[in-house]
Amino acid sequence: MFKNFIKISWRRIKADKTFSFINILGLAIGLTITLLLFLFVMQERSFDQMYVNKERIYRVIFHTTDKRDNEIWATVPAALKPAASEEIPEVERSARLWDHDFGKTASIEANQEQFTEPKLYYADREFFDIFQLEFIHGSAQNQLEKPNSIVLSESTAKKYFGNANPIGEIISIDNKKKMEVTGVYKDFPSNSSLDGNMIASFSSVGFYNDPTWGNASFETYFLLTENADVASVRNKLQDVVDTNVPKEDQWYTLGLQPLERMHLFSSNIKSAYSSKIGSIEEVRNFSLLAILILLIACINYMNLATARSQKSTKDVGINKTLGAPSKLLILRFFTETGFVTLLAIILSIILTVTTIPLFENIVGTELSLHFLWSFQFIAAIIGIWIITTFIAGSFPAFHLSKFSPMEVIRSGKDKESFTALLRKGLVVVQFSASIILIISAIVIYNQLEFIRNKNLGYNPENTLAVSIAAVNSENEQETLIKEFEVLPEVSSATMTQGYPGISVSGRSLYKNMNSDEAMSLQTNRATGGVVETLQLKLLAGKDLPENKQEGDSIVDVVLNKKAVEFLGISPQEAIGKNLIAQLGPNAYVIGVVDDFNFSSLRSPIGGYAFNNGFEPLRYMLVRFKTEDLPETLDSFKNRFNQVVPSSAFDYNFLDKNVEKMYERDQRTASIALTFAGLAIFVACLGLFGLAAFMAEQRTKEIGVRKVLGASVAGITRLLTKDFIKLVLIALIIGFPMAYWLVNKWLQEFVYRIEINYQIFLYAGIIAIFIALATVSFQAIKAAISNPVNSLRNE
Amino acid sequence: MLKLEHIYKWVSAGGRRIFLLNDLSLKVEKGEFLSVMGPSGSGKSTLLNIIAMLDEFQEGEYYFEEEAIHQLKSKKRTEIFNQNIGFIFQAYHLLDDLTVYENIETPLLYKNVKSSERKALVGDILDRFNIVGKKDLFPHQLSGGQQQLVGIARALIIKPKLILADEPTGNLNSKQSDEIMQLFQDLNKEGVTIIQATHSESNAKYGSRTIHLLDGSVSKK
Repeated sequence: MFKNFIKISWRRIKADKTFSFINILGLAIGLTITLLLFLFVMQERSFDQMYVNKERIYRVIFHTTDKRDNEIWATVPAALKPAASEEIPEVERSARLWDHDFGKTASIEANQEQFTEPKLYYADREFFDIFQLEFIHGSAQNQLEKPNSIVLSESTAKKYFGNANPIGEIISIDNKKKMEVTGVYKDFPSNSSLDGNMIASFSSVGFYNDPTWGNASFETYFLLTENADVASVRNKLQDVVDTNVPKEDQWYTLGLQPLERMHLFSSNIKSAYSSKIGSIEEVRNFSLLAILILLIACINYMNLATARSQKSTKDVGINKTLGAPSKLLILRFFTETGFVTLLAIILSIILTVTTIPLFENIVGTELSLHFLWSFQFIAAIIGIWIITTFIAGSFPAFHLSKFSPMEVIRSGKDKESFTALLRKGLVVVQFSASIILIISAIVIYNQLEFIRNKNLGYNPENTLAVSIAAVNSENEQETLIKEFEVLPEVSSATMTQGYPGISVSGRSLYKNMNSDEAMSLQTNRATGGVVETLQLKLLAGKDLPENKQEGDSIVDVVLNKKAVEFLGISPQEAIGKNLIAQLGPNAYVIGVVDDFNFSSLRSPIGGYAFNNGFEPLRYMLVRFKTEDLPETLDSFKNRFNQVVPSSAFDYNFLDKNVEKMYERDQRTASIALTFAGLAIFVACLGLFGLAAFMAEQRTKEIGVRKVLGASVAGITRLLTKDFIKLVLIALIIGFPMAYWLVNKWLQEFVYRIEINYQIFLYAGIIAIFIALATVSFQAIKAAISNPVNSLRNE
Repeated sequence: MLKLEHIYKWVSAGGRRIFLLNDLSLKVEKGEFLSVMGPSGSGKSTLLNIIAMLDEFQEGEYYFEEEAIHQLKSKKRTEIFNQNIGFIFQAYHLLDDLTVYENIETPLLYKNVKSSERKALVGDILDRFNIVGKKDLFPHQLSGGQQQLVGIARALIIKPKLILADEPTGNLNSKQSDEIMQLFQDLNKEGVTIIQATHSESNAKYGSRTIHLLDGSVSKK
């Protein structure tokens, strides 16, 4: 019996090739997207699952108080670790992690070669007890104990030393420290949040012997004892802070974040070291999208099935007179649907495997392919198959099989009104979903264009930030900048601690000497010419001076407008004012610049101060003009190496860095665009098939009308009118939902576009145009056919 | 074999009742070959459908082999139908997606007949109807007469006690028509009870008895 059903299904597929093609392709596209997104979601959820102790590992997190903007940081003071391991019995192991030079790229010399390394960490020796990594050379025990010892990841070791065993080799960091290699560990898996390429012993840095409670710059991990009560550990953390930090210095509280939540629930946590931060919203949105697109594809199937129901109902009638019970007919329809969806699934698996690189490109992450063979994925495929079969097959199975044979055999007609209504409803649902996607795509695209073209208040284009962390003396730095300034391509250059788009020092600006009222102030040490190089708009006063006497205790400050507004004075009045901003007693304002977006457009502009204080200078900013970028970079590199031969030329374009801030949005945009396109394509496939069937069904009517003198245009209009009506209803439903959705997304940005009626107009026109184009092809075909042929069929 | 007593069937249209069957009584004995004649709309098809238990009636009593059909649930009715009655349609109503062989086999599948037995039964009937050579063809590859032959073969495969034929030759030419009627007569001689609805006097003559329907009632015996 079952075999028979499959045979019939196969014959039906073969009998109507266009139809089957549309059906299977539509489903396959929907399924492919679902599978790809499922892979992505699986990957996101698999993060940090590989650590043996994963349930017991926690990261200490840091909440700043109201006065400090209520931020959450991933880094805590260095003094916490020794205190906590002593005072909290539940802390079995603990380890600090410090990102080299507060997150700067390290300049490495190994094997007489220069390298740059962005992922160098310093860690306490318990680190490898908590995160148990496999060691290829050296043992996992007793690593990171001695000062100036370092372990390398497998790929880093290979990069520096080839296949040789590097144990005992000496590595120089930033021309300052010499480290001995004591081990090589297997690379962190791609789905690990932690991802150091080199880990040096924490005892190599000054914070080890002299940890403070003031500088919260260290990620700290706890391995709790089995069955430890996390709530009580949280309380004890606070006790530790209370015993060690005077009340007036407690501008923070501490918390614990389970390792398992680190990847997906950290998007609001600042200063985390991991570059692989996911977002639970993204996972949810993607899952939703996958369901939406699968639904559109299922709707297609149902739609086409209802269109074909005339034939099916007759079949049902005959089978019933031949003694078929309803149950069997239901089974038959499900078999048929299941067979079609099976073909679609097979096709979609092929499509999934072949489009993975494309998908990786769109979402910007690599997927690990071993998920393809995982139990979960295979179970998901089978699950999706069953669900799809059930959704898509439910209409024909339950609706058609319940007819009594008389009803259908007589007229060959099923209750048209119900199927027609259902069909219309489904088309509306499909197009509403498509319209939501179109509008989202347009808005996201516009917002990103807006960000890209927004006047940031400074000019990030043609500006290079060259790392000078490895340049040891101020003299050498001076020489370097002089050498650069004489290059013909360079229009100006300056040295800074940081640049817009990366973090600098966080301080507080007080209203006056006696006031508690403060605003947080980003301070950036710089040398002369910083205003000129960044092309900031000077509102009053002047740029930082070119020369500063050594040992001069006076700090010159260039404030931004926001900071001056906080002080409650005009830019002109601010000049010469003594500043209470933790920049020493002799900080004086010498200039005021207009506001500029030094961080993401998601957040409002805060206070910012350039100063020539005492923090180390890490970058040389170079504004240049060029016709031939590679050649210019080459000449920069040569010049750099002439002055500092022992350091690698590591640079960053400021505009590239700005773009990087919106990478995630870019990704959202490309996903929305791609999926909107595919959703519309699938919807159109359905519409195309539907129109073909409507035209076929009305062949006789069209013939009669033509004989009676109807024009081609008239008939085309007749056939398209109904569809356009449906699309219009879909617009009415889709618009408010789309508005709500994009509005919600835009709220994340402080600087955002207005949603205007034009977006809706365009989306509407696009939808109608696409529907019209799809349907009218069939309509015109039907309209120009010779009526004699269609009438002869009777 | 079956007995209809005072059957009324109507449909309501615009608040008025239109009677399809109006106080119809009929008795059919086992082994009869009854021809039901009458103009279009006289209720021939309705009568056949009611006998086949495919359609309901509002008033009256229907006994099939002493079973009071009008008192049975539809499930039981369907069971009786499936066991005893073969239906032949004017428009053949073969399943387009199945071959001749499979069309004939289908009722057996629904009765859960074993595969080997099915093969034998279908083989016999193909033989008997001389359509062995056509068993792998699809309905649209056959002429109308051949299609109806398949339709009859399909109705006979379950060895029904009663065959209901609704204008079985309505779409056929006279030669094909005679062949089918000849076949009916042979079947009747083998003991199958047959009720056919027809327009044609000549077809009716093959039967052992003819009744005439007019406006839903038997007009003369």
